[in-house]
Amino acid sequence: MKKVLFLVGLLALFGGVVLGQGYSTQPADARVMPVGEAGTPYADFELGVQGGTLNRSAIEGPKSWNAHNAKETSTTQFTYLMYGGLLTNDPVGGGIAVQFAKSYEVSEDGFEITFHLREGIMWSDGTPITADDVLFSYDDLTLNEDVDTNQRDSLELPDGTYPISEKIDDYTVKFTISTVYRPILEALGFSIMPKHKLAEFVHKLNPDVPVGTFNETYTLDTPVEDLVSMGPFMVESYQADISVTMVRNPYYYGYDANGVQLPYYDRLITHIVTNEDVQMLKFRNGEVDVYGNRPEDLAILLGEAPTKGFQVMISDDTNYSNNWFVVNQDIGLADEVDNEKRELYRNPKYREALSHLADTDTMIDVIMNGLGKKIWSPVYPISPFYAGRDSYGGEVTEADSFWYEYDPALAISMLDELGVVDQDGDGWRDLPSGAPLTIEFNTNDNTTRTKFCLILTEDFRAAGLNVNFQVVDFNTLVTRLLSSTGDMILLGLAGGGNDAHAPNVYRTCASLFAWRYSSCEEPTELDVRIDELIAAGVSTLDNDEAFEIYKEYQVLVAQRLGYQYLITSTFLYCYYDHVGNGALSNPYATIAGWRLAEFAFDNRL
Amino acid sequence: MKRNGLRALGLATCAVVLVSLIGLTADLASIVSSELIEEISKAAGLALVDEYVLKTVEELEELVATGRTPGIQLAADRALFILNARELELLDMEADALLALAEAGDQDAANMWVMKKRGDFQRPELVEEYLLTVEDDTLAIAAGTLLGGFYVPNSPIGAKTEAELVELAKDGENLGLRVAAATALTAIWIGDQTLTIDQTRAEILGVTLAYPELALAYQGYLAYLFSL
Repeated sequence: MKKVLFLVGLLALFGGVVLGQGYSTQPADARVMPVGEAGTPYADFELGVQGGTLNRSAIEGPKSWNAHNAKETSTTQFTYLMYGGLLTNDPVGGGIAVQFAKSYEVSEDGFEITFHLREGIMWSDGTPITADDVLFSYDDLTLNEDVDTNQRDSLELPDGTYPISEKIDDYTVKFTISTVYRPILEALGFSIMPKHKLAEFVHKLNPDVPVGTFNETYTLDTPVEDLVSMGPFMVESYQADISVTMVRNPYYYGYDANGVQLPYYDRLITHIVTNEDVQMLKFRNGEVDVYGNRPEDLAILLGEAPTKGFQVMISDDTNYSNNWFVVNQDIGLADEVDNEKRELYRNPKYREALSHLADTDTMIDVIMNGLGKKIWSPVYPISPFYAGRDSYGGEVTEADSFWYEYDPALAISMLDELGVVDQDGDGWRDLPSGAPLTIEFNTNDNTTRTKFCLILTEDFRAAGLNVNFQVVDFNTLVTRLLSSTGDMILLGLAGGGNDAHAPNVYRTCASLFAWRYSSCEEPTELDVRIDELIAAGVSTLDNDEAFEIYKEYQVLVAQRLGYQYLITSTFLYCYYDHVGNGALSNPYATIAGWRLAEFAFDNRL
Repeated sequence: MKRNGLRALGLATCAVVLVSLIGLTADLASIVSSELIEEISKAAGLALVDEYVLKTVEELEELVATGRTPGIQLAADRALFILNARELELLDMEADALLALAEAGDQDAANMWVMKKRGDFQRPELVEEYLLTVEDDTLAIAAGTLLGGFYVPNSPIGAKTEAELVELAKDGENLGLRVAAATALTAIWIGDQTLTIDQTRAEILGVTLAYPELALAYQGYLAYLFSL
């Protein structure tokens, strides 16, 4: 379930796998998708046929195959296809739907959720999936402090406890919560991983292995034969920096209404390319079937689409993603260096000055052909909880929005007030002590982000800040961000769905609280208040009440100036006419990605 | 602005109108080897590229140099482009090097230069301004092709009607604008698919001398019909 947010690369893999035999007949507990059935979210889906290969591209390969460690889309674009949860969301942005659970019940007081699991379902190696796998994934991975995962963040209840699991029998598990937690069903979508393959690497279960060993399992060096899937696809082969080939999991439990086992495509090949220009060329040449294009590609693609037989989708909606820059407020902390710089970075007036130097209107006009929206909140404008709405799910009026308008003069006066002035006459502002202030500004090899950075850098430098912009690869960038070794970084988040609280990002000890991890030990008053609001927001079952709570939360997060928000983009997507169900791609799920890939098919077959 | 070559057919074309009409039902190979109307021959050639890539590089180089018709030369040229992986070669080149090649008459380099510079052409007026100053036909055609994407009806900015585009393809003030209109018209006609192959060929014959870019639009549409 897409309950947590991930750092976005671009939304975008050998050895051999001995295919299992699969089921001899459709399992009684198969998840039958009502493809094409009126009155269901799948009404507009076409029934497909098995066969063919879907080609997509990515500019970053995976960091691992470990669903619990993954914090970035370059990895989750694969792990989401390999592992599932008890529940998921409908692929057209709808509500909660069963996934590996065939049904669930919530007790009258809302404190007990009982899941009935699908019986007779296998891992891709033919081993049965049971309650033991679910509880292993929950108790021994998700809640295990030795495991580096951001899936735990979503499960912390407002009173600081976690749901308690209980195995009723091999195919029934129960979770008990101690307090009201509205997003509990979404939170219980943690990834289920195979106990029979991984338990031996968990120190808690096998004291012979060191603490943290699990974090070094299912790495890119793991033979693909050892990678076991429960999702629609499994890894067949991986060539670093070249491609990942996934094949249908013969034991996947999804079927269409005609009894055809999903996914329809036999193979899903992800071509790892060097940059977005290559991505675009591969699409234009028909080497890949789908492409999440950028606004700057539109004119070329629109002109070619009819001739080459592809479609260009331009949505009225914005994406479930954002772009921001972040100042590392813990810079030098680990080595006790850069103390004065760190003090400056921690001053909200400094970060506010930077926000006033962000010319988002120009970014949208010049870089995005107008196909974007400037943002100020951690909550996506498409969410019903967005504070720019007049009520829960209401009209977007922006009446209560909190903007940092582009105002270079104001930014300059704020920097002056902070004593960040040019003291040695070299044209660049110095730290108050007179020491030079130089700032390294990074993003990944993404042309749109690069252009955002260039516009920002120009304004930063015009204001006298000695900012040096440099592109680094995505996985390096993520490492710098998560290890607090970056200086200033521009990146984005994706996912998280419609709820507002994003517990893996904005709560003080969250795994993506990357602007100041030290706050976990020493939270500011603002941090404490935001944590309280997150707890309050999830503690009510009344959406209207939650909306009001989240409104204050959003304003305070904006004032905290952790991630300094810039822009969210309009949903754009291209697919060749031969990709059946291609038109169903939407801001929430694309046909080559999580939750929709199993429905894509080659309509030439 | 240099001449673009599209008006270069001259009077010789008139004499072949009848010949062209006679060949309406001939297959593609026959069309490409015998058709004397440039746009029709090229349309057939574009539809034959997938077959031409099965030839050897030597054969293709020979056809590019001495092929009997423009369609054969074009099919061979496009097949060579694929076989030689020229696109990747161009992709790796710096913008300045591409520009130099484009100015020397390399249309593929011009196309790649425009693709790489598309971030500077994010709005139709920016391309239109560029087309007022550009001196090389290769660059005008490449930028005009990009501009055509802004002109298609479903473009969020710059969309034009079919009537406006026909007018622009005929009388646009510069080559790039006329090519842009032609690009968008081809896209519209492929979407509508109201003209048959024979009707499209007849349309080409009617405009090839007076309005070569309008003929180019029909050429694109005819190539699509030939490939079905």
